[in-house]
Amino acid sequence: MLNDISLGRYIDTGSVFHRMDPRVKLIVFLVYMVAVFSVSTVQGLVVIGVILLAQLILSKMTPKMIFSTLKPIIPITIFIVLLNLFTIKTGKEVWSWKFLTITEGGIHNAVFMGVRLIFLILITSVMLTLTTTPLKLSDALEKLMGPLKKIKVPVHEMAMMMSIALRFIPTLLDETDKIMKAQESRGADYDTGSIINRLKGYVTVLIPLFISSFKRAEELATAMDARCYRGGEGRTKLNPLIITKFDVIWGIILTLGATAIIVVNIVFK
Amino acid sequence: MNLDITENKIEVLANNVHFSYTTYVDGVNEEMKKAVDGMSLSLQKGSYTAILGPNGSGKSTFAKLIDILEVPEEGILEVFGYSTTDEEHFWDIRENCSYVFQNPDNQIVGTLVEEDVAFGPENLGVPTAELRKRVDEALAYVGLSEFAKKEAANLSGGQKQKLAIAGALAMKPQLLILDESTAMLDPNSRDEFLAIVEKMNKERGITVLTITHDMSEASRCDDVYVVKNGKIFMHGKPEEIFAQPEKIKEASLELPEDIELYTDLLDIMDEPVNSDNLVSQDVMINSFVDILKDKDLNKVYVPSKETEKNKLDSGVVLEVKDLSFRYEDKGKLILNNLNLKVNRGEVLAVVGKSGCGKTTLISHFNGIFRPQTGDVIFSSSDGNTYSTTNKKQILSLRQGIGLVFQYPEYQLFEDTVEKDIAYGIRKLGLTDEEKHARVLEAISLVGLSEDVLSSSPFELSGGQKRRVALAGVLVMKPEVLVLDEPASGLDPKGRRDMFALIKKLSDIGTTIILVSHNMDEAFRYADRICVVKNGTIEEIRTASALFMDKVRTKELNIALPHLVAFSDKLKNAVVNSIGDVDFEPTERYASLEAATILRSIKKSKEVNHAE
Repeated sequence: MLNDISLGRYIDTGSVFHRMDPRVKLIVFLVYMVAVFSVSTVQGLVVIGVILLAQLILSKMTPKMIFSTLKPIIPITIFIVLLNLFTIKTGKEVWSWKFLTITEGGIHNAVFMGVRLIFLILITSVMLTLTTTPLKLSDALEKLMGPLKKIKVPVHEMAMMMSIALRFIPTLLDETDKIMKAQESRGADYDTGSIINRLKGYVTVLIPLFISSFKRAEELATAMDARCYRGGEGRTKLNPLIITKFDVIWGIILTLGATAIIVVNIVFK
Repeated sequence: MNLDITENKIEVLANNVHFSYTTYVDGVNEEMKKAVDGMSLSLQKGSYTAILGPNGSGKSTFAKLIDILEVPEEGILEVFGYSTTDEEHFWDIRENCSYVFQNPDNQIVGTLVEEDVAFGPENLGVPTAELRKRVDEALAYVGLSEFAKKEAANLSGGQKQKLAIAGALAMKPQLLILDESTAMLDPNSRDEFLAIVEKMNKERGITVLTITHDMSEASRCDDVYVVKNGKIFMHGKPEEIFAQPEKIKEASLELPEDIELYTDLLDIMDEPVNSDNLVSQDVMINSFVDILKDKDLNKVYVPSKETEKNKLDSGVVLEVKDLSFRYEDKGKLILNNLNLKVNRGEVLAVVGKSGCGKTTLISHFNGIFRPQTGDVIFSSSDGNTYSTTNKKQILSLRQGIGLVFQYPEYQLFEDTVEKDIAYGIRKLGLTDEEKHARVLEAISLVGLSEDVLSSSPFELSGGQKRRVALAGVLVMKPEVLVLDEPASGLDPKGRRDMFALIKKLSDIGTTIILVSHNMDEAFRYADRICVVKNGTIEEIRTASALFMDKVRTKELNIALPHLVAFSDKLKNAVVNSIGDVDFEPTERYASLEAATILRSIKKSKEVNHAE
């Protein structure tokens, strides 16, 4: 029952995006995010679409994989589109029935918001979630936020916590599954009856899960101590992040793409 | 055997070490609990030493003191010649001392296998090129090279412990501490794990200290300390320890079954046990055969055979028909057209390798997994039949078939023991008095006093928690009780108590289905044994018939119980020495087996004489 949940969603196709340094990807990703949100012209959207298509092809992902990342956000996209469609009342009225009216401004906004959202998810998938392992991502965050250490932000600790949390997700899912089975044997019910009844069923799972997580945390802390963990100071890395010529070249190519979007948008304004 | 033993260097030296834990009584008042109470010992460089003791004897706490995970409150503790209280040498001790803990999951830090191996040396600041070398070498040493880029969470329990060893090895330690590292492993993985450790000890001269309550593990060591209530209770070579069965019992431990059988044999013949003969099975067998040659068995009193009462054949209580199961549409078949009939009142042991489908099978018994094809039918004693394919019958069926998973203590959740036990009967429409009566019955069945009912389950000890969890299933008065590794993680006394409880349940008529990878226990307690392999039942037979059939056990690739294996070896030696003897099948207990062996020998000698 918990098998469908996959949080790390990393799929290795060995593409350019997989080989790129995660820090470069993170920065390029931020640039694209700005570009997508600043676009206000149809021509701008078309350019994004073209560039994104090129990126999807480069990432060697199958349409099925890409669709699976879009699937969870379809309901919210529809909601946002409808909200924009019916609430924005600028420009000429196109259609009206009782209290519902659709205006040109509403259609424009609805289309833009919907398309932007989909583009954003696709960019996140290609740049980050589908192509970067969680550990590389937390490494990249640690490196990029490194300067914050000077103002006493515990950057290393935060990155360490993130990677341990990710490491324990499968273990805890497994454990949840076991506890659910055990409680079910004692008559717990998770999927029938009233909402309160179902919530009560989940309490019988959550409490044991919390207690065992605390125990795990304590044991893990001792194990880390025993393995000489003493913070980020002086730690070396088995796979250190190194920026190569490859990363620079692809970083520039991708940034050029983002610049093209912004330029086209300004020209057609 | 040991590289540096000539140097006679002492690696760990403890002199009258004390340590207490702070515990909270009723969650408020502090109380100091003595865990280590004046322990003194010394470990030689390159030695392989065991600290043996039951749970709660302070053995693990002592190991933590060595790695400075705790600091002694009194006494002297020196590791590698430095005092553990000397802050200047803190890292000199810890960096050269590696640890493998009990729970495989709770010591893995890295997401990928190679990242986890690197975690320790990364902390030491080992340069990247050297790191790569160490990681690759350590993974090759334990045989996990092919998993380097795989996720550590997906490894099996045995592989995870090997990974922990690799992580230790990559630190290049002088001292390796194993804190009940094999307690959660199946016998195969345990042997592989110990083989790696022993290789490290011999080839690299790494001093090994193993903390365990398993006697057969201790018998592999050079030196053994037995701990009781925080004090050193016995010390010596394994064979010297084993020569004192009374003291071992006093320390709540058990003799390995081969030594027990040998000791019992000599006991019946009224011969003294010489500790020198306990060093290996071959020496024991030779000494027994030697004694037998000169012994006049007519003067030996051999207890007569105890007859086991036969269980009445009273029909099938649970039937599995053509059951198949797979997780995904086109995934691998976990259960493949499986058929099984469980007789009312029997103890059935389900054995098989990890991943053979045992757990999936028992999850079908009470409808947690519904049959994708086939059926599971429960015939209750009042004449009704229930099928797990019928959704409406599942709740009633679950009252009749109790399922206790591995480590059931982790499923407790209520704020009092009484509420937790009563959870399973809350929907039966019983009055509060009736419920209370059922709870009382269940708690006395598992051997706990009524006093615990009002306390929080989380204040109890590990063994008590497991009993409470068991009571939470027994309260439903199941006719069939399915137990998945009920004794895992318990020490010898805990295991004995658990099986005494199971036997009690069986005696009052409960059908027991026992999932286990411990062949010794399956042989001792089960009426029939059912071997699961690749999702089907490969064999189902009475325990003694199965283990006497050497061809079949080899075919099925299942390990013989230690008692059977040693007894066979001994019987062969006897036949080679004094001629043919008509031996009876192996008994379940070493003491009974000793009597049976001598009885058979006596009888055939008399026959030969008469001829």
